[in-house]
Amino acid sequence: MSLQKLTISELLDAYSRRTLKPSEVVQSYLNVLAKSNPTLNAVLQVDTQRSLARAKQLDSRESEIAKLPLYGVPIVIKDNILVEGWQATAGSKILENYRSPYTATCVERLENAGAVVIGKANCDEFAMGSSNEHSAYGAVKNPWDISRVPGGSSGGSAAAVAAQMCLASLGSDTGGSIRQPASLCGVVGLKPTYGRVSRYGVIAYASSLDQVGPLARNVWDASRVFEVMAGCDGHDSTTSAQTVPRYTELLKTASMKNVVVGVARDWLEGVEGEVKKTFDESLELMVSAGAKLVDVTLPSSKHALATYYIIAPCEASSNLARFDGIHYGFRSQQKSSLNDLYCLSRGEAIGAEVKLRIMLGTYALSSGYYDAYYLKANRVRSLIQKDFEKAFTQCSVMAIPTSPTTAFVMGEKSDDPIQMYLSDIFTLPINLAGIPGISVPCGKDKAGLPIGLQFIGKHFDEATLLNTAHSYEKVRGQWDLPQLGVV
Amino acid sequence: MSVQDKYETVIGLEVHAQLLTETKMFCSCRNHFGSEPNTLICPVCTGQPGSLPVVNRRAIELGVRAALALNCQINERSVFARKNYFYPDLPKGYQISQYEAPFSQHGHLFVTLKSGDVRKIGVTRAHFEEDAGKSSHVGTGSLVNLNRAGVPLVEIVSEPDMRNSHEAGQYLRTVRSLLRYAEVCDGNMEEGSFRCDANISVRLKGAKEFGTKVELKNINSFRYVERAIDFEIERQIQLIEKGEKITQQTRSWDPAKNVTELMREKENAHDYRYFPDPDLAVLVIDEPWRKSIESSMPELPRAIRERFKETFGLSDYDAGVLTAEKELAKFYESVVKGSANAKMSANWVMNELLGKLNANGQSIEQSPISADDLGALVAKVVSNEISGKMAKMVFEEMFDSGKSAASIIQQKGLSQISDTDSLEPIVKAVVQKNPTQVADYLGGKDKLLGFFVGQVMKETKGQANPATLNEIVKKVLEGERK
Amino acid sequence: MISTEDVLRIASLARLSLTENEVVLYQKHLGRVLDYIKDLESVDTLGVGLATHVPTDSVAFREDKAVDSHLAAALIKLAPEHEAGHFIVPAVMDADQ
Repeated sequence: MSLQKLTISELLDAYSRRTLKPSEVVQSYLNVLAKSNPTLNAVLQVDTQRSLARAKQLDSRESEIAKLPLYGVPIVIKDNILVEGWQATAGSKILENYRSPYTATCVERLENAGAVVIGKANCDEFAMGSSNEHSAYGAVKNPWDISRVPGGSSGGSAAAVAAQMCLASLGSDTGGSIRQPASLCGVVGLKPTYGRVSRYGVIAYASSLDQVGPLARNVWDASRVFEVMAGCDGHDSTTSAQTVPRYTELLKTASMKNVVVGVARDWLEGVEGEVKKTFDESLELMVSAGAKLVDVTLPSSKHALATYYIIAPCEASSNLARFDGIHYGFRSQQKSSLNDLYCLSRGEAIGAEVKLRIMLGTYALSSGYYDAYYLKANRVRSLIQKDFEKAFTQCSVMAIPTSPTTAFVMGEKSDDPIQMYLSDIFTLPINLAGIPGISVPCGKDKAGLPIGLQFIGKHFDEATLLNTAHSYEKVRGQWDLPQLGVV
Repeated sequence: MSVQDKYETVIGLEVHAQLLTETKMFCSCRNHFGSEPNTLICPVCTGQPGSLPVVNRRAIELGVRAALALNCQINERSVFARKNYFYPDLPKGYQISQYEAPFSQHGHLFVTLKSGDVRKIGVTRAHFEEDAGKSSHVGTGSLVNLNRAGVPLVEIVSEPDMRNSHEAGQYLRTVRSLLRYAEVCDGNMEEGSFRCDANISVRLKGAKEFGTKVELKNINSFRYVERAIDFEIERQIQLIEKGEKITQQTRSWDPAKNVTELMREKENAHDYRYFPDPDLAVLVIDEPWRKSIESSMPELPRAIRERFKETFGLSDYDAGVLTAEKELAKFYESVVKGSANAKMSANWVMNELLGKLNANGQSIEQSPISADDLGALVAKVVSNEISGKMAKMVFEEMFDSGKSAASIIQQKGLSQISDTDSLEPIVKAVVQKNPTQVADYLGGKDKLLGFFVGQVMKETKGQANPATLNEIVKKVLEGERK
Repeated sequence: MISTEDVLRIASLARLSLTENEVVLYQKHLGRVLDYIKDLESVDTLGVGLATHVPTDSVAFREDKAVDSHLAAALIKLAPEHEAGHFIVPAVMDADQ
């Protein structure tokens, strides 16, 4: 059955023509998941009963399809986002038995729109990683080549979409964690403007950088999920009060004509090989469709990695202090004093990469170092923000490869943290600036591994961003997801 | 010169006052003391993964009121900061507070000492923070109750301007009174809505440098503020006299043993790693908002004092006594309303009522006589329904029984007799019975007037209005002059 | 670049117990990252203000109206150890405030 081949828009169409029902679609996706997941390890928890019960409920609400913009759409949620009654491990042992007492606003909005949660996706522990090799529940495999990483930290979310285990997934992006795995898995991944989507119910990594976003097969699908969950939330006072446009409506008139696309040549230095080649070809395609290219510079972006690896760990060291074995989560069984309880619970149940970042952040915030590290990094962040503001006076979107490489082999980058961090060189600055970015598949390398093209937009101008990305898809042509012999 | 005279004490005080909001600082759980443990909790105040703080607007308004009552400058922009440390009653592993950029600074207040002197004490700053939960110790474990976690606090830090425990005690009483007047905090030390820590150091008089300061916590009642501070001063002086050094430490007052005890040495002091909370925007208290908070401020003691002096003609001293507590000022004004005589009301409240309440260790809120009832009593004296002397008796009865003046007067038939028609016959009867005295009086012994007045008083069981009676007796006696 | 004492001090501040191997590993990795980050020292930030990230039109406040979360019982049940409506921990040695 080629049910899995349907995109969200096609599925919604089938539902409205009554040729399909949510319960059969959800069952079908659960079957695919059951077959592929043992290999890919993309999903950590499935709750068949709950998902089917929900789908059956929706079956009887077909008269309301017009009011349910995600009616019967099976989605997978990254395991650092809370859904009531489901687990929320954030890929960590310290939350192994944690059952969410409440649902994140972003998921609540999707469910209210008719979406059906069919699984919690694996991820790098506490969203810290670029390969999904740092999960306490095992690595996720890239559906294009299972000896390779899917990217991270939303590796499970990206792999699940690429392997057609669901129609869309939610990930979180702090330094590239939606866009980079989207690129490595050949799917679309959007990181919205900071403050566009509520973070309430999303386990915090770095509060001034985290954003929730959709991963999907194409820009339209991603836009539909995005427009349903975006908007002000009284539970999150960092969300913007701006109204949310009907992005999917706007896509109808999207065009590449006269779109001014900025390219930061200084930032591109050092990118080579097939990634560079494919990127250049993509630019040509855009021009052929009517876009204009303009050179811009981002002189401070070369400091983005250092800036990020101070700010994010500092905030994380504080955000993760709540995992102390007292109020929820893992508690060490060793009989001990209070101090030992803290140290052993956290020591035993938190993974190496997370511990490293907690210590980095603790160090940088500690007495005597605050000015030199945290304050300094914040000033450089300001410079990075100004760079983008300036660049956007000359263009309406920017384009850059999403990742300097395609999917690398498992274990390849494990020895040196910096090597791993460099995977995010083109995504980090966007988080620091708080602007939106989207990764769209643009080609493959000789090994058949997907390459991603990233569009970057102005604050709260996802409309232009999505329109450009959607237009690009049209000019690029058909993009097929990998066949794993189960579909 | 005693040992103590060689030394000078420097005291600074930190007050944590819970704000009278309906909900907590960063979540919508009820702000209420005394509920069943862990019933006023939610994902935010229990620090669940994914939870986020949202500022309570009313808490900001009350905090600003508190700062204005303390004559502080309000900073238009201030920053919430995380104070990071591990403790079971702190579920997030950090407390949201304000550090480098508090919302108010540079205030002061005036403290009246028992000598009558007035001292100006500086207020360094006031800032917002959230309260922590409570732990109680049980055997080898501790129980944690998070009902209090997240309750809004304003922390008020004084300049180290106080030089002895009396000044410190009066400062605290004044701050408490101001916060109650401003209706931002109920000042209940026993319930923990008003808490105080003291920083105490001593130095030789004339020394330029401050001595090492010791932090004193757990001062839970006004009854022993002065005692605790005095003990600590004495302890430090004795150590210095012995040639020992004072180490920076945190001590706790033990009210059972009447001593301060070591809690921890300051070397183990925390590195709180303060940084601005990224989940919260900069707190902006712009001029229009500040002005509207100012205009909604309840009347403060100073203004009330001036008003009492002007409107009621009270002396500075009397006005001061009657505004020492917000409840007292309110009480007094109600009495004036009921009696329409401000000066007489002042006397009755200060001399009669407060005297009895103080003797019983009761506060004005515990007065068995309501303001309305006292006002009614004073009104009866003003209208001559009863004499002043009679009123005092009625007052005693009112205090003991809680009954109103009217019912007591009626019950005991105590109404003062003031009308001529009732009194004249009695006077005439007494005059008839005592012809010798009449003759003596008319012959020039004026003092005998008192005899006749006394006799009528006896007849009327003391209820005759003395002034009226005097006139009637004089008149009747003159009428005998043939 | 970073000493063992530093590693232990930070681990203690962060309440992380480390095995001997971990101390060595983190000393190496922390050193590596701190080295890389040093790069920022040379960036000229004179007169540059701090970055802001919260949207200027965010709704900063909430009204003071009580809402029962109805989650009190569920939240206690999440605790590894709880009894009679309280969270339970080993005795608190010194009141850390």
